[in-house]
Amino acid sequence: MVKLCVLIAAVSLLPILCLSFSPENPTDRRVLVLLDDLSLKSSHSIFFNSIKSRGFDVDFKLADDPKLSLQRYGQYLYDALILFSPSIDRFGGSLDLAGVLDFVDSGHDLILAADESASDLIRNIATECGVDFDEDSSAIVIDHKSYAVSETEGDHTLIVSGDFIQSDVILGSTKVEAPVLYKGIAHSVNAANSLVLKVLSASPSAYSANPSSKLSNPPLHSGSAISLVSVVQARNNARITITGSLDMFSNRLLRSGVQKAGDSNKYSKSGNEQFVTELSRWVFHERGHLKAVNLRHHKVGETDEPAIYRINDDLEFSVEIYEWSGKSWEPYVANDVQVQFYMMSPYVLKTLSTDQKGLYHTSFKVPDVYGVFQFKVEYQRLGYTGLSLSKQIPVRPFRHNEYERFIPTAFPYYGASFTTMAGFFIFSIVYLYNK
Amino acid sequence: MARSTSKDAQALFHSLRSAYVATPSSLKIIDLYVGFAVFTAIIQVVYMAFVGSFPFNSFLSGVLSCVGTAVLAVCLRIQVNKENKEFKDLPPERAFADFVLCNLVLHLVIMNFLG
Repeated sequence: MVKLCVLIAAVSLLPILCLSFSPENPTDRRVLVLLDDLSLKSSHSIFFNSIKSRGFDVDFKLADDPKLSLQRYGQYLYDALILFSPSIDRFGGSLDLAGVLDFVDSGHDLILAADESASDLIRNIATECGVDFDEDSSAIVIDHKSYAVSETEGDHTLIVSGDFIQSDVILGSTKVEAPVLYKGIAHSVNAANSLVLKVLSASPSAYSANPSSKLSNPPLHSGSAISLVSVVQARNNARITITGSLDMFSNRLLRSGVQKAGDSNKYSKSGNEQFVTELSRWVFHERGHLKAVNLRHHKVGETDEPAIYRINDDLEFSVEIYEWSGKSWEPYVANDVQVQFYMMSPYVLKTLSTDQKGLYHTSFKVPDVYGVFQFKVEYQRLGYTGLSLSKQIPVRPFRHNEYERFIPTAFPYYGASFTTMAGFFIFSIVYLYNK
Repeated sequence: MARSTSKDAQALFHSLRSAYVATPSSLKIIDLYVGFAVFTAIIQVVYMAFVGSFPFNSFLSGVLSCVGTAVLAVCLRIQVNKENKEFKDLPPERAFADFVLCNLVLHLVIMNFLG
């Protein structure tokens, strides 16, 4: 009886367990937050509460918790990882650098925030993601022009920046009006890595140095080459956010007013809350996650998909593209989706027209070349998951009996052929009976 | 010099015509047939020069049927000519049968290629 109860309980729990990240339901469900110190839980509570209020299970653990584990029996226990533990040298439990990278490589998301105490482990994780923190461990970002006006005059390490990436999908459609407060270390994005993007850049007057010592050498990182917040959209659709400021998520900066030095505009609330909330929406796949389904093609006037096309056939092609809104799949509307009819190089490249309900369609003529072709949709846009679809289709030449017949232009040739035949017949009679 | 050349040409044509009169009538029929085939072929080539080579297979089969006919007829003429010592052992009936068979094959191919 007890066993039966356990079985029923286990079976009824299955749907809940299945609620985690899946292609059909791409929003993350379970988030692990690793902290240096559990006091961060209350000092950053606004950020965590906004995540919880959007329906995520947030699990707080100390980064050196000896029972720390991301996976059990080969299954990941979490869909996303937030590393708010900049000073950790070694994670507890079985987690290590390779474990974090495997987690990302299997398509999970990561938010990493460092500060001036960033350890080698945290720096290495960032480097593996294509972001290099300033090697000088005492250097932080200083800006003598766009710093936040505060009570402690002369402290120019609390800087403001409004230099956002121009992308509605990453930062939401509502513009972040107030500048973002930032206090932390600088990083630069690896130029060889095309997947990493600067979301928030420092102003041209910023530089990275130790604020308490005299500047003897020119700073390694300076100007708008300094990235304050960077994101990575990996090819497996894992998303990563890396920032050198843990403070920018804190309640203190989220609630603080902001006034940029030399600017009379005073905002009662900094842009941090909107910025970090929208950014976390993007990272957790609540926005910008596309899927393409129902790739269809058929001849004009037919509905069934043929196994093969003939050269010069007219065909219709359609594909449906949807964007995940966090709760449901909404039609994705854009005017730049293209299809290629591809055999080693694209023979046809057409922009698809949309019916505003997610259906993209076009029609074109199969080129006058036979061989094995592919329908290809390659759609890579800033902030959106990449779509890469292909479907193979052979194209054959005309059959022997499919050529045009009885062409009026050719009638003289037909006439000549039959005349020679008749001539042969008459010649034979005349020749045989001519004695 | 020029006068003597035209006189020579006249003499040449004259001798040719008088020699041709002596040709057996069966060979003359073959010559007429060859002339007909070549004429038909020329008409088609001129036509093609005007309308372009679009149904190229039809053009080829039309012209090749004429050319083939002419070639086969010339072969027949060589074989049935009594003065040609090379084929003196070949009976003219056998030569004509070969000619008919080759023509059948030719026209079969032409009909296939014409469409």
